[in-house]
Amino acid sequence: MKYLVAIALAALAALSATRSHAQDAAMIEAARKEGKVVWYTSLAIPSSTALAHYFMNKYKGIEVIVNRNGSQRVLQMVMQEAGASIKNVDVIHTSDAGHFVLLKGKGLLAQYSPKAAEVFPAGFKDPAGYFFGMRATLSSIAYNPRVINEKDAPKTWKDLLDPKWRGKEVTAHPGYSGIIMTHVLALVKQLGWEYFQELAKNKLHIVQSANDPAQVVASGERPLGVNGAEYFYYKTMKQGNPIKIVYPKEGVPLVVSPTAIAKDAPHPNAARLFTEFILSKENQQILADKEGLYTGHPEVTYPKDKPMLKDLKLWAVDAEELEKRNAELKKRFTEFFGA
Amino acid sequence: MSIPQTTVAESAAGARAFRLRRFDATLPVWMGAALFVVVLMLLPLGAIFTTSAFTEKGLTLGNYVEVFTDPAYLKAIWNSVITSFWVGVIAVAVGALLGWLVTRTDLPFPRAVRALVMASFVTPPFLGAFAWTLLAGPNAGLLNNWYRAASGSETALFNIFTIEGLIFVMALYSFPYVFSMIANVSELISSDLEDAANILGASRWKIALTITLPLTAPALIGGFIVAFLHSLSLFGAPAILGLPAGIHTITTQIWAFFQYPPRLDLAAAFSVPLLLATVGLIAVQKKLLGRRGYSTVGGKGGQKRLLKLGYLRWPAFLLVAAILSLSVFLPYGILLKAALSKAWAMPLTLDNFTLGNFTFTFFQYGDTQAAILNTFKLGIATATAGTLLATLLAYITNRQLLRGARYLSFFVLAPLVIPGIVLAVGLFIAYSKPPLMLYGTIWILFVAYLTKEMPIGFSQTESTFKTIHPELEDATRIIGANRLRALKDVTVPLARSGLIAAWSFIFIGVIRELSASILLFTPSSKVVSVVIFDLKEEGQIGAIAVLGILLLAVSFLIILAVQWLAGREFFASSRG
Amino acid sequence: MATVTLRELTKKFGAAAAVDRLDLDIGDGEFVSLLGPSGCGKTTTLRLLAGFLQPDGGEIRVGQKVVSSPAVLIPPERRNMSMIFQSYAVWPHMTVFQNVAYGLKLKKLDGGEIAKKVERMLRLVHLDPLAGRYPGELSGGQQQRVALARALVVEPEILLLDEPLSNLDANLREEMRFEIRRLHEEFRITTVYVTHDQAEAMVTSDRIAVMHQGRIVQLGSPEEIFDRPKTRFVAEFIGKTNILRGMLESGRSVALGDGLKLRVLAGDGLAPGKEVFVCIRPHSLRLTPSAAEAEAGRGKGMNLFQGVIQRRVYFGDANDYIVELPAQRLNLRVVAPPTQKYEAGQKVFALADPEQCVLVGEE
Repeated sequence: MKYLVAIALAALAALSATRSHAQDAAMIEAARKEGKVVWYTSLAIPSSTALAHYFMNKYKGIEVIVNRNGSQRVLQMVMQEAGASIKNVDVIHTSDAGHFVLLKGKGLLAQYSPKAAEVFPAGFKDPAGYFFGMRATLSSIAYNPRVINEKDAPKTWKDLLDPKWRGKEVTAHPGYSGIIMTHVLALVKQLGWEYFQELAKNKLHIVQSANDPAQVVASGERPLGVNGAEYFYYKTMKQGNPIKIVYPKEGVPLVVSPTAIAKDAPHPNAARLFTEFILSKENQQILADKEGLYTGHPEVTYPKDKPMLKDLKLWAVDAEELEKRNAELKKRFTEFFGA
Repeated sequence: MSIPQTTVAESAAGARAFRLRRFDATLPVWMGAALFVVVLMLLPLGAIFTTSAFTEKGLTLGNYVEVFTDPAYLKAIWNSVITSFWVGVIAVAVGALLGWLVTRTDLPFPRAVRALVMASFVTPPFLGAFAWTLLAGPNAGLLNNWYRAASGSETALFNIFTIEGLIFVMALYSFPYVFSMIANVSELISSDLEDAANILGASRWKIALTITLPLTAPALIGGFIVAFLHSLSLFGAPAILGLPAGIHTITTQIWAFFQYPPRLDLAAAFSVPLLLATVGLIAVQKKLLGRRGYSTVGGKGGQKRLLKLGYLRWPAFLLVAAILSLSVFLPYGILLKAALSKAWAMPLTLDNFTLGNFTFTFFQYGDTQAAILNTFKLGIATATAGTLLATLLAYITNRQLLRGARYLSFFVLAPLVIPGIVLAVGLFIAYSKPPLMLYGTIWILFVAYLTKEMPIGFSQTESTFKTIHPELEDATRIIGANRLRALKDVTVPLARSGLIAAWSFIFIGVIRELSASILLFTPSSKVVSVVIFDLKEEGQIGAIAVLGILLLAVSFLIILAVQWLAGREFFASSRG
Repeated sequence: MATVTLRELTKKFGAAAAVDRLDLDIGDGEFVSLLGPSGCGKTTTLRLLAGFLQPDGGEIRVGQKVVSSPAVLIPPERRNMSMIFQSYAVWPHMTVFQNVAYGLKLKKLDGGEIAKKVERMLRLVHLDPLAGRYPGELSGGQQQRVALARALVVEPEILLLDEPLSNLDANLREEMRFEIRRLHEEFRITTVYVTHDQAEAMVTSDRIAVMHQGRIVQLGSPEEIFDRPKTRFVAEFIGKTNILRGMLESGRSVALGDGLKLRVLAGDGLAPGKEVFVCIRPHSLRLTPSAAEAEAGRGKGMNLFQGVIQRRVYFGDANDYIVELPAQRLNLRVVAPPTQKYEAGQKVFALADPEQCVLVGEE
């Protein structure tokens, strides 16, 4: 009996595997017919370019058009195109989870629940099935060890307020970067606006992308980054640049960057295939290995020299709140820092 | 006096009979071209005014009130005015000095100096600004590092991310405008005028001060206004140098209005004063130059002798070389270094050397190939269409073919002084909804470039046409060619070198255009300048350097081609 | 029939009329010159004829067909005219052959025919050896011949010439005058020729229209214009002349100051008792030192002046004298043969045939 059940189960499994295999093949075929997928992404240029090449190697004949820009610019593009009824984008990816709340609310997203995301934890899934966390990173502090001694280096967010860092610090901009938008909200909630008011007295150098502080710190132009995409700091460091990352004990803003398919995607099948790909364990592992990113996939392993997320105190923010406070956060930040 | 033999009735019938034949078959072409350019201008400008003056509540000044009461916005205006003022002053000082030294003195290597000034002229200011962030960033900037190494000092010599830094860089790329104006005028002043003073016993320096300088005064004022307007309209340089220090200008603020959630109404309201100021300044310039005139300078004039600088000859040359190294050598050098090194701030050793930036930029980064293709497609299409249109329009104004042809040339030339970003605001509003749905396609960039760059071709073409005797064309017509045929067979071939120059002016203008592109591109219609700007925001220095070098290389190749094809000095062509 | 009729033709530039109610009839095959100083409206008239300008009033007819009026303007290319320009307007980017062939190409003639016609025309203007040259390699005279060939080869109904010789040097100019007349006699094309040079007009024209301030002040054969000027302007403009102011007494007598009466050729429409001018060409005066000869002349009805040589200028082919008439307090200019030599201060008599003393009005 047991034996029979086992056979039956095995047969069932085989059947469903065949069916799912057949479904995959159909999706790939449909995607090939569409020939390309247009991806608006805020993932750093080298990373997004690399990811596109992985996909194109795996699914020959389907081109990935990468349009990389800051999260806020990606949103601006999507909204401007929607306003002008231009159907260009297939897959949207930014680091500002609030964007997806907004886009969903405006009916600009397609509902699609990727199989690959089934294993993702709750923080990486929209319950309604519109968007999924493609990657996660932290917004961390980083410094240039050639300019700043390890013992002098700041350990906490508050250490950054020390006047001795005047003219030495660099920040990215929430008006451009979703990571920084998330960062600002997290720190405002924990430390209040007074923190930023105080920080602004150090006359920060302002760059746009959360990835830009990495090269500013590495070159020594400003040896201390008060925020920035941790994965990009890590990548830049791994390329042999003088960078040390600081994960403050008080807490580190966790930035989950969602991906979604546009409602009017001109290549819907390719969009689905691409979404399945970027959320697949295979790709998520690549993101962890090569790009220094964290992911929602529970089976992914991380480089030894990166802290495990569970060992850090994480400050997560609510996407709804991010969406609601977007304008306020930008405006106040600009008030303090100018531009 | 004899009475006409045909009666009134007869001649009326005659007139009717001849109506068809009297109709100049080429008239629709001229009317069409004129109408096209007028619409091309009126649509965006009209869009700006209506958008700025209407809210949901109807006609209102609400947008203006909002824009002009917010201290942050007022600060942006002030920043623009103050930087442009100083840019004007410095550009006039440097441009006039160089122009005078090159044309009126025995300065060594005048041709090389001219060529290098032209190189500064061709360099996109945003690229210069970018290079200067690498040269004079307070902590990592190459020059500041050298200074610290040499002096042992802890502080930086120069911080480029300041208002002063912004003024400095914008002046570097504005002075060539003044240079060319001064050089042109100065070359026309005959030495006779100076000799007259000489006979009266004035020293050569006194002559320079009391005769030459006042004669060039209209050009100096004109040069100031041109440099002022040029710097007022720049977007890339203030975005790259000002924003990191929290400094907004009018152009960067307009750009910021486009960020989500977009405030087109405020952007339009913010554009209007810029537009009016521009028109006002141009009117002032016209008036000033009109009254003083170049007539004293005299057309052909007599001979011109070069002032002997004496023991100042080599110091003067060193000064010129220093200025040109600021605008050309240092920035180009650092771009080349950044393009070839893994870490731009490190010395360019064998370890640090890489061609990876080139392979990444051209073969891996997805945007580049499409953007390069777009840029050159647009460059060629705009330059070709623009030269064609400019030819027709210059022909209309030159031959006074239509009533009001004089006003037409005002229309055609207006975009020359309208800041690109303002034009882009208008174009975006005008062409992002049906029935004129160009936004999202490459065509909106084409229209923008055509509007913005065609005037350069027009003024070039018109001044070329002025040199062609109209009888050459009359001779064609009287033996049976209509106007278009005459234009094609005689005027255009004779204006060939001027037209080639017009084409290349437009082409170079297009491939370096940023301030309009930045508002009008969509991800499917990116151009190189926008890609450079994107890369800048992400800090991809190697790739920017590679693309910058590409732009410069193409520009210089075009210029060389023009000089070879048309057999003329590129820079000389601004002379009428 | 390429007759040309200008009726009340008017062209204004701003408020000023460059051509002012001008009337002119040109016969088929006739060669008419428009002669006048610069600014008289002659070039404007020609450009109106060509259709480059549209009149503000009046009309131009070719045969019976109105080609120009304020309501009608047939463009130049459909008028079957040719024009030769002051600047030659030879196209510098085409060879001599191409220049001449261009008009035929416009008429869509086939290549062989074009070549034949061009070659014949180039032979006619003696340019056949230079067919392959570019204008930059030609002299001014040769360029002018190219312009002529180019204009004639299309066999126009009407030929217009705008100061075609003014840029040539003196010798060439003289040669080309005859050349133009020769070609006219060969082709008999109705021709309008604009010039400010009276000698050019004399040599080339059947009739001359002297223009002044936008109007034709006199129209006639070269002889009529020279010998019988109607107005002081015409008299002074055409050749050198002495103008004497006086009072018209009867039809044929003019009282100058100091009781001297001149017998003159009857003038049209001038009423006795009015101030008039007498025009005497310097060539028409004969000088003599002999009182007897002078008296004999007067006896034959000649007018006699008594004066003193003030100045002599020797021109090689003539002596040019200024003779002061103390009684009338005016100077006469006299051109005498080179053999007649008088020194300054010498007393002389000047005789003038009344037939050559022409009465003219102010206008």
